[in-house]
Amino acid sequence: MKINFSISLKLTLLVVFISAIIIFSLTYINIKQQTEFFEDAYYEKASSLTKALDASIQNTIFLNDQQRLQGYIENFSLLNQDIIKLSVNLPEEDELVVFVSTDKNTINTTSGEFNDISYSKGANIYIPHHDENRHTLTMLSPVNLSGNIFGTYEMVLSMDIAYNALDKQMRNLILISAISLFIMIFSFLYMLRKSIVKPIIAFRNASKVIGEGNLNQIIEIKSRDEIGELADAFNNMTVDLKNSRNRIEKYNKTLEKLLSQKDEFIGQLGHDLKNPLTPFIGLLPIITEQEKDPNLKEHLKLLTNNAEYMRDLIFKTLELAKLRSSNIKFDIEKLDLKEEIDKVLTRQQSFFKENKIIVDNLVNDNIIVNADKLRLGELLNNLVSNAVKYTPKENGLVTIDAVNEKDLIIVSVKDNGIGMTKEQLSHVFDEFYRADKSMREGESTGLGLSIAKRIVEKHGGKIWVDSPGKGKGTTFYFSLKNEFGKNK
Amino acid sequence: MVKLGGMHIKKIMIVDDLPEVTYTVKYGLEKLNPDYCVTRVESGEKCLELLNKNELPDLILLDIMMPDMNGWELAKMLKKNIQWRKIPIVFLTATEDETSKITGKLIGDDFVEKPFDVPTLMEKIEQILVKKSK
Repeated sequence: MKINFSISLKLTLLVVFISAIIIFSLTYINIKQQTEFFEDAYYEKASSLTKALDASIQNTIFLNDQQRLQGYIENFSLLNQDIIKLSVNLPEEDELVVFVSTDKNTINTTSGEFNDISYSKGANIYIPHHDENRHTLTMLSPVNLSGNIFGTYEMVLSMDIAYNALDKQMRNLILISAISLFIMIFSFLYMLRKSIVKPIIAFRNASKVIGEGNLNQIIEIKSRDEIGELADAFNNMTVDLKNSRNRIEKYNKTLEKLLSQKDEFIGQLGHDLKNPLTPFIGLLPIITEQEKDPNLKEHLKLLTNNAEYMRDLIFKTLELAKLRSSNIKFDIEKLDLKEEIDKVLTRQQSFFKENKIIVDNLVNDNIIVNADKLRLGELLNNLVSNAVKYTPKENGLVTIDAVNEKDLIIVSVKDNGIGMTKEQLSHVFDEFYRADKSMREGESTGLGLSIAKRIVEKHGGKIWVDSPGKGKGTTFYFSLKNEFGKNK
Repeated sequence: MVKLGGMHIKKIMIVDDLPEVTYTVKYGLEKLNPDYCVTRVESGEKCLELLNKNELPDLILLDIMMPDMNGWELAKMLKKNIQWRKIPIVFLTATEDETSKITGKLIGDDFVEKPFDVPTLMEKIEQILVKKSK
């Protein structure tokens, strides 16, 4: 579920981020516009209130009737609940002095310098003020008496009602935004799961099933989008795979049939060759033995050698065919490697003496391998006689050693003989291949190493060869399971 | 075994449809040891005919793959007869599968794979004859 989690998380985070930016910037713009609208409305209100005030109190100012002026202002303030403070500032010896105010404490107004500006320029000045608790708008406007400016009005309006309403609206907006954001995230996750994550899981499961070899798996996604197209392509691919696998299986069966026909043919041929060879093998040695004429005896020896070579060829070809067939059974048992090697070497003692080659068994005691006794003997015999054949008679030395690696025993058969080139190394296990072309056919069938390879592979092991080059000797290695390794 | 002038004549019967094999056996064995007297028989039917004439050999060399009656069938018939069942049988075969080797040793006394050299064959025959005479 790892991939599922990560795709959803990545996309969700992206969507949340973008939606939050959009929603909150929209809310911010909305509130900004509302604020501007409110302030405009209050400017309008302030200026119309001042005009009304101006019209009603001009006369009292002109007459300088302070008592009546006070009464007017107080009444005016009471009529408009938004007015926090209202005062009329009139000049007295180059200074503006508050003459009348709703707020008796405020003689020197906070907005003194703006009073001066408004007075000197004869224009309205608006000063909005916001703090944590209050939102106010202060307006300073000139007292205009038939074209002459006499002083200023200072009117402070509370914008609390509007701003409180705006705050409430803002809270609602944020709440609605958050809720819609959550709804968006959940619907997005739902859509994501339905249209992407679930198909991906379906693809993953189908791939697994197909990987296990069941090509009847079909992905059922009917959506008309890219995923649907992908599913169609995937299903087509599966059908194509199935068709080609069926074709390959058919070819395979034909091949297997041909192979078994070939093996049958080889078996039959070998069998048919054995009967006519019987007189040669049976009688030639006797005739040769009894022949007195040395010339004729030499010819007969040649015939005997060739007959024996033919017999070897037939036996080894049949052995190869047998090793290739699947129903050959090996009798696997625990064998002492050193002992088995010694048995093979004892049997070949005369052959080594004839070739004047020393064969050393350096394998430690108590190395146990899991192998078929007869086949292991055949394998060792093939490798050792091969090494002896390709080692010169002077100072010829063949050493057999083994090392334990995990659950494997790696056996090496090393000679100091003619060595091999890279080209020869790559063909040495091919059937009928002889590394030394000059070697007379009668001496080697070219099948011994192929048989060795088959035997090792049938034991579940590996065989390989290494040579530093021409004239520098050759080492054959093969691996077998030791007593702890399991055969198949 | 028939005593003839102090010598033990060993009567061997070779049953094989291939004349080159019967010839090899006859020539080889008689050449190596003049005590041997080998009768060449080319089929199972002929073998039964001769045995019915009461010409019982000391040992029968029997090929397995023969037309009409094969070696297994003949061996089974021989083993059913009280008189004939004592005659040791050595199978000759060109097939080298495990089952024929095992069956060969079960029904017969030994098993020789073609192509064989005559001294080896004689060695096996001698061993069996010595064992039987005890």
